[in-house]
Amino acid sequence: MTENFEVQFIDRDERTARFLVRGVSPAFANGLRRAIIADVPTLSIDSVRIIENSSVMFDEQISLRLGLVPLTTPPNEFEEGDIVTLALDVEGPETAYSGDLRSDHELVEPADTNIPIIELKYPETADSPQRLELEADAVMGRGRDHAKNQGGVAVGYRHLQTVVVEDDADEYSDSEPEILRGVIEERAAEHAVATDGTGEPENGALVATETFDNDLSKRYPDKEVSVRDVDDAFVFHVESDGSMSVDELVTNAADSLAERATELEQAVQL
Amino acid sequence: MSYKCSRCKRDVELDEYGGVRCPYCGHRVLLKERSRNIKEIDVQ
Amino acid sequence: MELRVIDKESTELSIEIAGEDHTFMNVLKGALLELDTVQAATYDLNPEQSGGQTDPILTIKTDEAIDPLDVLGEAARNVQQKSENFRDAFQAAS
Repeated sequence: MTENFEVQFIDRDERTARFLVRGVSPAFANGLRRAIIADVPTLSIDSVRIIENSSVMFDEQISLRLGLVPLTTPPNEFEEGDIVTLALDVEGPETAYSGDLRSDHELVEPADTNIPIIELKYPETADSPQRLELEADAVMGRGRDHAKNQGGVAVGYRHLQTVVVEDDADEYSDSEPEILRGVIEERAAEHAVATDGTGEPENGALVATETFDNDLSKRYPDKEVSVRDVDDAFVFHVESDGSMSVDELVTNAADSLAERATELEQAVQL
Repeated sequence: MSYKCSRCKRDVELDEYGGVRCPYCGHRVLLKERSRNIKEIDVQ
Repeated sequence: MELRVIDKESTELSIEIAGEDHTFMNVLKGALLELDTVQAATYDLNPEQSGGQTDPILTIKTDEAIDPLDVLGEAARNVQQKSENFRDAFQAAS
């Protein structure tokens, strides 16, 4: 099979990326999306040993909050089911944050340090401050088993779209905004005006709709336009919860699909 | 069973005959303290 | 992944693929339908709450000349190839 994928990044920063994939079938695009969400293992707290909890929340509530803290998951270091131990010890009057968690593995730490776990007080009437001391085991698990193990959040895709200029707009009619979201492939540059940081319109360029306020009448003034999907071209939007980079998330998802296909092929041959 | 008196804050041992009453100050409100055992909880 | 053949004829196959869900099954079905030798391919997957058969059952119909198990192997190979090609293209771009 001569499958030629073409990947092009539209924008990316530390935790999010948007990229275009050409030559991908809708089935494969959806498989990839689902794999990013549910099949890339990440570390998250799975069992907690409470040594002291004199806070106002139940042990179970605190454990749930700890479970939802994203932990950095270094690549190729852990396998599913592996365990890392973390500890937390905070005394009031102070708020216990995710950043107070200490792990026994140098590469594992909370991806965000500013998630409040609980506010601990030292009430005037009490003879000791509220205190939270615990040990927790983080386990490598998959998003399909528990949402706390989802590495990808807000993962989705849209068709790449293109705009066809049909005609001039009616000269005396009121111009109405024509809202479109996503990314368009410029194919009518001669009718387009330069928008927000995209430079001179050029055929074949990828233009995010935010650059013209998601309003086609700003990009193609006084034109009557229609929008079409580009076949087999999808714009993915992937956001990581911080447990790993977007690149790792996507490559791990592709690997997990490949692994399962290999397994099936071997099983069929037997 | 071990409790703590809510008035005099002293540790109180109760048996089944004595009734609910602090032997030191006679207060009838006793608080059950949290066990010092480590409690293991599964995150669900 | 455990396979259990439910029904097998010369051009037809029903097979249970334990432990998989829509993520892989739909990709596999898509790859099967891309093959010229496949006349029909589908899968049935019940939700957890249904209480009965919750592993997907894949059904394939092929042309006279070809064994559906071979077709399944070929489709699996294609999925693997696709995933690897995608990963390479992605890594090249990033």
